[in-house]
Amino acid sequence: MSLSSEYLLEPEARRWTSAQIAGVLLLVLIVLFAWLGPLLIDADPARQQLARFLEAPSLAHPLGYDQLGRDMLARLVHGTRLSLSLAVVSVLSAAIPGVLIGLLAAWCGGWIERVLAAFADAVLALPGLLLVLLLAAFAPGGFWPLYVGISLALWVEYFRVVRAASRILLASPQVEASRLLGFGPGYIVRRHLLPALLPRLFTLMRFGLAGAVLAMSALGFVGVGLQPPTPELGVMMIELLPYYREAPWLLGAPVGVLFLTLLGLLLLSPQKGQA
Amino acid sequence: MDLTRLLTLPPATRRQLASALGQRLLQAALVALLVGTLCFFMTRLLPGDMAYRIAAGRYGYDMVTTEAALAVRAELGLDQPWFMALSEWWSRLLHLDLGVSQVTALPVLVEITHQLGPTLRLSFLAMVLSLLIGPTLGVLAGLHPGGWLDRATLAVSVLLRALPSFLLGLVLVLLFSVQLGALPAAGHTDHGGILLPALTLALGLAAVSCRVARDAMVQVRASEYFAFALTKGLTPAQALLRHGVRNVAAPVTAYLGVQLVMLVEGVVLVETIFAWPGIGHALVHAIFGRDVPMIQGTALVLGLLFVLFNALVDAACAFIDPRRRP
Amino acid sequence: MACPPPAPRRRALLALLAASPWPLAWAHGDEAGPHSHAITQTGSDVLTVVGPWELTGLDPSRSGYMFARMEVLQTLLEVDDAGQLQPGLATGWQVSADGLQWRFALPRARRYHDGSDVTPASILACLQRAAVRPGVLQLAGITGMAVQQSELVLSLRQPFGPLPYLLTHYSTQILAPASFDAQGNVVAILGTGPFRIKSISLPQQFYVERAEAAPGRAVQRARYISVSRAETRTLLVQSGQADLAFSLDPPSIRALQDSPRAVLLSAMLPRTTLLKLNAGHPFLADARVRRAIALCIEREGIARALLRDADLGATQLLPPSLARWHDTRLPPLHTDLKQARRLLEEAGWRLGADGTRWKEGQKLQLTLTTFVDRPELPLIATALQEEMRQIGIAVRVTIGNSSDIPAGHRSGQLQMALAARNYGNLPDPVASLLQDFGPQGGDWGAMGWHNQEVPALLAKLAATPAGEADSGRAERARIVAVLQEQLPVIPVVWYRQTCAVSRRLRGASIDPFERSYRIASLQWT
Repeated sequence: MSLSSEYLLEPEARRWTSAQIAGVLLLVLIVLFAWLGPLLIDADPARQQLARFLEAPSLAHPLGYDQLGRDMLARLVHGTRLSLSLAVVSVLSAAIPGVLIGLLAAWCGGWIERVLAAFADAVLALPGLLLVLLLAAFAPGGFWPLYVGISLALWVEYFRVVRAASRILLASPQVEASRLLGFGPGYIVRRHLLPALLPRLFTLMRFGLAGAVLAMSALGFVGVGLQPPTPELGVMMIELLPYYREAPWLLGAPVGVLFLTLLGLLLLSPQKGQA
Repeated sequence: MDLTRLLTLPPATRRQLASALGQRLLQAALVALLVGTLCFFMTRLLPGDMAYRIAAGRYGYDMVTTEAALAVRAELGLDQPWFMALSEWWSRLLHLDLGVSQVTALPVLVEITHQLGPTLRLSFLAMVLSLLIGPTLGVLAGLHPGGWLDRATLAVSVLLRALPSFLLGLVLVLLFSVQLGALPAAGHTDHGGILLPALTLALGLAAVSCRVARDAMVQVRASEYFAFALTKGLTPAQALLRHGVRNVAAPVTAYLGVQLVMLVEGVVLVETIFAWPGIGHALVHAIFGRDVPMIQGTALVLGLLFVLFNALVDAACAFIDPRRRP
Repeated sequence: MACPPPAPRRRALLALLAASPWPLAWAHGDEAGPHSHAITQTGSDVLTVVGPWELTGLDPSRSGYMFARMEVLQTLLEVDDAGQLQPGLATGWQVSADGLQWRFALPRARRYHDGSDVTPASILACLQRAAVRPGVLQLAGITGMAVQQSELVLSLRQPFGPLPYLLTHYSTQILAPASFDAQGNVVAILGTGPFRIKSISLPQQFYVERAEAAPGRAVQRARYISVSRAETRTLLVQSGQADLAFSLDPPSIRALQDSPRAVLLSAMLPRTTLLKLNAGHPFLADARVRRAIALCIEREGIARALLRDADLGATQLLPPSLARWHDTRLPPLHTDLKQARRLLEEAGWRLGADGTRWKEGQKLQLTLTTFVDRPELPLIATALQEEMRQIGIAVRVTIGNSSDIPAGHRSGQLQMALAARNYGNLPDPVASLLQDFGPQGGDWGAMGWHNQEVPALLAKLAATPAGEADSGRAERARIVAVLQEQLPVIPVVWYRQTCAVSRRLRGASIDPFERSYRIASLQWT
């Protein structure tokens, strides 16, 4: 309905600019940090040494200790790994149903499409906190309510983009030709729709990843998030907020990791007019 | 478009307008249904005996007895099969009977009417500020793509999007309240107390609309009609004003619809940080206190406000872009 | 449809843009009403008090403590800093020889804030109402209340020494008859204190002003704002917007130590952060397990790291500020991981491969419930979780709402809970201890603990009339010793209340019983 989906239909540049290469490198670094970090760094993120609370960084412990005397670098690597996996799983579990339902809506048309669109709009209007709270009521402190809750809040965007783009594509002469030639829906989807849709979906997924991590911190703020002592970037940002004066490096660490991740993701998308 | 034209529209156009309106009403009804159903299941499924909790909230923990809890069970229909209780819940919702808050024992409707004003003021101001900051900078950046303003806005936009709103709010308070002493840090009766929360929200929204405006501006400058306007003899400024503004406004306004989601979620957090007594603050407190009638009421209002704003955005889109008019 | 000429549309757009600064003029409070949000603008002579507590309603049993602290409502009796009873609205009190009848002399020439007289009948009505609502009067077993001439007479079922202390509690506040409506609900706050309510906007703030103008540079007007986040409260003090701020968390205290705008006051309060255990739970019924848990807690470390004060590590349940109850001869609680592990082995819990202990196929796993109302509690809970992991107990921390704990206590579902209990709630701790360690235990005390000795000793102490200081020494020592040995609740740390006071004020002090902010004695410099 809104123009945003049409806006995203612009063809994207194909050349790899230096900014995009920088973005890819950044992301690779962060993924390595998250994946190999826990293997390389021995310290237990939950082990606390109360006597060393808020100790300043040193060579052996580059990020020092947090408010309970836990090694900050260990918590950061485990937290990055957890946050990124959580974000990727949430985004994928939002994208896949969103895309499927969007394709369904565009293919069927008529009242089915209108009902699905109205339902999607209604879900979009719900505050995401509400959904997560209801699911957390089933399994307090668990992981899966968070995945499902965030996905339920995110799937609508994919639905809208896929539906708007598919509607236009399904009316195009290429698809008409394929239909006349007798090809079935599976072929049409694979051959015509997906190649055109995937770039837009990747753009959405990039924003979705950052949004998912920030959603975790919002949930922790409200008190519905992960229970201690799980290290997670968003929750760490809230826990370390009171110490912004005494130990600003502690708060800066998760914020910095998130910033670099987002920067890498954004640099990946080609900037218009920068040829 | 003069308003008199609306009355003289051909029937086909009127039908289309009516259908657009009808769709928004349907959305509103679906939102109400969804919120009501979710809250109903929340009542049944939250751990801890709900009836006991409500009775304790009413009479106090020292005074609650098993008889009182049983009476509340019957009242809530917790002993009925769930589909019967659900239809009763829906009928109460239809009659706008939102119940009584379990924490303050005041009617939910009364509380919400008190809280709606502050939230509306805050969101309106935040939206206006973001439109003043974001598209303006975006247009300026788009005029010289690749220049220093462009790169600077990209970096700042990424930083603002990576910061959670409470952190941004903290930075702003430290800067304006503590260091400069210019603005009050919290509380809503002090002069200018609305500015910092509105600014926190506005900066997050402006970060996105800035980039959208910038991309649209770049597109306009590269377009054929712009080149043609320059060939016609218009100065770049005239061409910008005549062609550029409208074409930049179109995607920015369309993106407003998406930004409303961010606004609603941002309002919830920002109101808690700045102790702003609006609906978002009330929702967070209700969630903390497991106050289901209040959760239902505030979520309902937030959802319906969202539908309303979306309808307004659609109207604005139609106003700006003649291609989308019925 | 022909395109309309561009000029009107452009004019409309420009008009819209020009109108946009207009909302900035909206940045002020909205209109006044009986319970609306903003009233007048605050001048610099309005004392601003900030704290985390919200008004959840007007009833004294719910938010009476807020109005008492802002000195709007008063009780029959008061206490001084040392815990000695002082006359409040009642000018004197005496007890009959058998301890079953108490007489309180009521004032003659006092008025409520609405101008009506403080009559004995109105006081009686208030107390009768308080006796049936949630509060503390049920502890005393009052069989009858009556008014004789201008004296209030309370008849008891059995002697109860701490009765006058119960009448200092905020749930027994005295309100004017005009405060109640026909159903008995509170609709307005009309009391007898030096300040009267100017306006209330639930749940966040209320304004008070002096009932009678005070001379000199005393505070004439004040307001209380509820701000839930500790950082925001600190920022309000640093920016000068708040003059008194309570419940500061340790990082804020560090931040304010060299602030040019405020000074810090602190006092040890009789509040203990304790681990409430369900002694009826099969795992925790064994006293050796409870003692093992007590031995693995690093109290001094927690006090130093989380509260920034190593002296707050609890050595027993009741802190030194309760001098009559704090027994310095009692062997203090200490940390000994080896001993803790040995006790668990003795109780039959063997270390499994996953690091936790098992017995007869059951894993030693417990749930710890706590709440965020006090910011240090979730942190302490996390620290305890890790410390218990070191001796092989798997703990799951659930952070919820403070009402979860009484609910869990009543339903029997609670396993472990971390809470901060104020034993100065009633200035004589006997009444609080009776609430917690009575025959059925208490919401914030023992659960499932079948011990006859302590309730009997507490009942015996309660029967002694107040004022005879040395009489119960042996009983008090025995109660504290049993609690230290059996550990139905495990003390973790004590509490120091720190408040930030603006340098514009003089004469500030902290009430160790948290009954009043003492704003009537503050002066502007």
